[in-house]
Parts: sequence; structure tokens; C-alpha cells
Amino acid sequence: MIDTRLKRCLEPGLSILVGSVDSRGVPSCSRAIALASQDDLETVTTYVPLATSQETIANVASTRRLAVAATHIVDHCSTQLKGTVTSVRLAREDESPFVLAQLDRFADLLSTLGLPKRIMRGVAHWPAFAIEMRVEEVYDQTPGPRAGSRLR
Amino acid sequence: MSAPIRLSSLTRCFQGVVPSIIATCDGRGMPNVTYLSQVYFVDEHHVALSCQFFNKTRRNLDENPLACVELYDPLTLEAYHLRLKFLRSEKSGPLFETMALRIEAIASHTGMTGVFKLIAADVFAVESVDLVHGFQTRAAEVATEGASLDGMRTELRGLQWVSERINRAPDLETLLQIVLEALEEFFAFSHSSVLLYDAAAGKLVTLASRGYGPSGVGAEVALGEGVIGIVARERRVLRLTALDADLRYGRAIRREAIGGSAGRKLDAEIPLPGLPDAQSVVAIPLAVGDRLIGVLSAEDRDPMRFGEWHEAYLEIIGNQIALVIDRMLSRAEEPSSDGAAVCPPGHAAAAALPLPATGCRRRFIYYKTDDAIFVDDEYLIRNVPARILWKVLGEAQRGGRTEFSNREMRLDPALGLPPVKDNFESRLILLRQRLREKCPDLQLVSTGRGRFGLRTNTAIELVER
Repeated sequence: MIDTRLKRCLEPGLSILVGSVDSRGVPSCSRAIALASQDDLETVTTYVPLATSQETIANVASTRRLAVAATHIVDHCSTQLKGTVTSVRLAREDESPFVLAQLDRFADLLSTLGLPKRIMRGVAHWPAFAIEMRVEEVYDQTPGPRAGSRLR
Repeated sequence: MSAPIRLSSLTRCFQGVVPSIIATCDGRGMPNVTYLSQVYFVDEHHVALSCQFFNKTRRNLDENPLACVELYDPLTLEAYHLRLKFLRSEKSGPLFETMALRIEAIASHTGMTGVFKLIAADVFAVESVDLVHGFQTRAAEVATEGASLDGMRTELRGLQWVSERINRAPDLETLLQIVLEALEEFFAFSHSSVLLYDAAAGKLVTLASRGYGPSGVGAEVALGEGVIGIVARERRVLRLTALDADLRYGRAIRREAIGGSAGRKLDAEIPLPGLPDAQSVVAIPLAVGDRLIGVLSAEDRDPMRFGEWHEAYLEIIGNQIALVIDRMLSRAEEPSSDGAAVCPPGHAAAAALPLPATGCRRRFIYYKTDDAIFVDDEYLIRNVPARILWKVLGEAQRGGRTEFSNREMRLDPALGLPPVKDNFESRLILLRQRLREKCPDLQLVSTGRGRFGLRTNTAIELVER
């Protein structure tokens, strides 16, 4: 069982960022739409929009390295997962409601901070790739003096 | 093929309304991705990032200088990628100071001074700027902002209008009122204030405000505290956008720090004077040479309300206001001949208001320990203005005296005015404003240059404790 602190990175409505790197050491970043785990963060599935993730997909195809940061946009509680990508596939239709629900919840939270929902509705989110990753390192990334400390 | 994107065309992205993200990579090839608190536009080929903690991003850059930043336009939510190469860390100089000022203001506001601070301004070469195609699936309906020629002309007319009125203002009180009215009329700055510096107390005191209701006047800010206090201490303009996001970020650090050793040293959070939900603020120091006169501040609920143009514009107005205030305060300090007091045109008319016919009794209590006066159990004023009022009321009650001169107040050691630059005029304005708000049936009206009179139609009871 993972603890309460770690569980926060799987709550709905998080801001999900992904970082990858190519074989020459050139990093890249983009946004993901949703994050899921069925085994207490031993592995995670990160959903990235097909429209904006070409570079991420190309990078993980060559290096298999991925970093995923999940942040609560209201209190900035943030967790970073790092590991090795085990597979990349097109997300299935039956995963679409989950991805959409995550995006909707994220839009709800953003609207409480002043960003109109209509703008978020225009953000590309489907179709999506599902990137499966074996989690090897977990870090607390909440801003402050303890940012970067290892949680697992 | 589309034209290259100029970095300077992404001004909105640098305001921090939507936080940017950065990816770096360590020596073993593991990426790291995180939010950035500030991406600072340096020039067409360089940006700077704020380094506040020696975090993973910073350590990665020592191992691999390449980075990728994703920026967002807060109006269209289009995304842009900047490919960066780390060049150097600056720990002093103009760039560092400009970035540090902003962070220090947020830190001070959240009681994080000393914990949440800039360690270095990390400077990067921008190797490419690209639109992230497909990020937005439909064009956002955006009212594009911009300094159109019409807008520029309006603002220039505003400058001309303000200048004329500033120079014609008969007294300090009118001047401050004119300035805030002009900012609202020409630029729709509906929440603004002017604070004057009291060097003896090391504090700024709000002497005029617009948009906050009566409670704004008299509010004090210590030098170096909060956005206004830092602007005053550093004598530098500060424009903050997306304040709410910054404050949440600061509070997140505060929560984390409280859990560690840093928590022992934290100050109480200082509430911003003014709007509780302000999203953007611009504060301009009013100074003559190196001498601080005060601060002009405006705020708004719109996170992108103030642009660079406003900053430059307010700085021009600020310089002019500072000079005129200084001239007025110096003039007020000049000794005047008691028999030849001259009332400037419009002076008395502006000061005298009809007294409300209350017929009631007012009870003033002076608390010696707190150096404060309460009227009918409600706080009125404290420190030097309180002592001035107590002297006036006491002499009126003892001998029926109602006419006074600034000079006699200055010479009375019991009032504790500093020997030079005593700001007597501004203290009197504050006293008048507070009386207007809390006790309108008692007025201190200007009766000529360097003179004032007590006007009231109410019975007064004085108690000293």
C-alpha cells in the first residue's frame, strides 16, 4: 500500500508534465492529460495527446527514459516519477472517459483560478498515446527547501 | 515555411500568468521536468531563469547545459518551445537585482523573507523558438491587447492633463486627489493609493486612496515590508502580474519551510493594503534624487492589467509628483510671517466643508501608552498626528482658542516632530482625512499659508488615560 502523500499524485485534476530526452542528451517537455496506476505506483500509464507528443514518443523510443511530474495546481503539492518506458500504444476508446474526466476536473480547478473553461476545452487531448512506465524513482517536488527529496 | 518567431513577440508569455515548464537532463541521461516561477526576457537571444533553491534542475545544468522550456500565452493558450543552452549564473548586477526585487516582494508578502529568495539569475542562450503545433485545437476568441496608436495618443493626452493639474494644485491634499482621479479617468486604474514616507518612523503612510473605501487612508507600511515597502526601500519600480499564482507558490514554500528549521524564523504574513484578491500590482517609488518621498501604487483583479507601457508612464508621472510634493512640503516648512499669511487661490475653498448639524457630544480619549486617540470608543489616529490633535483640542477647551499656526506646532517639543523634513503638512492631511471619516463634525481647516483653524459644532469631552 502506498501512503497518503504518494496517493496524491493519482488524484483527479492534476497538472501532468512529462520530460524526455533524445540520444544526444537534448531534453524536451510537454503536457500530459492523465496519469493512472493500477499497482501502487510500481508502474504508471501516462496519457499524452497525439497532436503534441511526437517528440516525446520519438525520445522514449530511443532512450526509454521518462520523467512525469504531477502537481496540484491549487496548493502546488508536486510529485515526480522517473523510470523506464516499457511500452507505448494508442490509448483505447474505453480509456477515453477516464482521460476526459481528468481533463474536465483540471479545467474546473483552473477556472477557480481564473482561467476560463472554454480555453481549456480547446486544448488537444484525444486521440492520445498511453505510455507505460516502470517507476524507479519518486521525488517530492513541492516548491521549497525539501524539493527534490526522494520519497521512494 | 512560417517566419521565425521573435522572442520579443511573446511578451504575454513572460508575465507568468500560466506557469512555464522546463525539462533538463542529468549526466546519466535521466530527464527532469518541473514548473518555473519566472522566465525573464533579457533580449532577443537570451532569457534568464530564477534560481531560488539548488534543486535538481540547477544540478542537471551543471552536467548538461541544454534545456527545453514550454511557455504559454495566457490569452490564447498557445504553447511555445524554447530550446536553451545554459551560459552563466549571475549573482549581482542589474539583471539579478531586477529579478530579485520581484521575488523579494512576494517573499515579504508571504512572510518568507530570507527563505524564499533569489540565489542566482541563470542566463541562457535561446537557440530556437517554436510554436507547439496542435496544442490548441481551435483558435481562442481573444480580445488582443496592445498599444494601438490611439491608445498611445490617449495616454500622452493623459500625461499632458495630469502634468497641468499637478502643477496647478494649490496644496498637497488636492494634488494627491488629482493624481488618483487622473489615473482612473485616463487609464481606468480604479484601485490606487499614494503613500508618503515618514523618515522618522521609517514607515509609509497612506495619505490618499481611490477605490478602497474610507479604510485605506492611514494604513501604514514599514520600509522593506510587502510590495510597497520593498519598492520604497529599493527606490525601484515593481510590476507584478499573476500575483495569485505567485502567492500560492510562495505559500507552498512557506508550508514546506514551516515543517523544517526555517519555520522558526518566519514572520507573520502581511496583508496587502487594498484589494484582498488583487491579481496584479504596479508600485512606483516617488523620489527626488536619492531621497524617498513616497510610493504610488495601483492594483487590479485582472492578472494582466498593467503592462510595460503603464510602468514607464507611471514612472514619468511619479517623478513629477515627487518633485511637486517635495516642493510643497519644503514650502510648508518655510517660516511665514504671522501677520502676512497669504491663502493661495482655491486653498481655503478646498479645505472648508459644511459641518453636519449633529448637536451631539464627542468623547475623545488619549491613551498615553499607545500614543493613540479614540473617538467615541473608535480608533481615530496615533503618534504625531494624535499629539497635534490633542494639543489643539486641549487649547480649544482650556482657553477657547481655535486658530493655530504650523510654526507653533513645529516648535512644541511635546509633539516630537523631527527637526528637519518633519512632514508636518502630510501629518495634518492624514489627521484631516481621519477626522472626515470618523468625526465629520470636527474639522481642521486651512486658514492661510501655514495656518489652520478648528471648526466644530459639537460638544467635546477630553479624557486622558
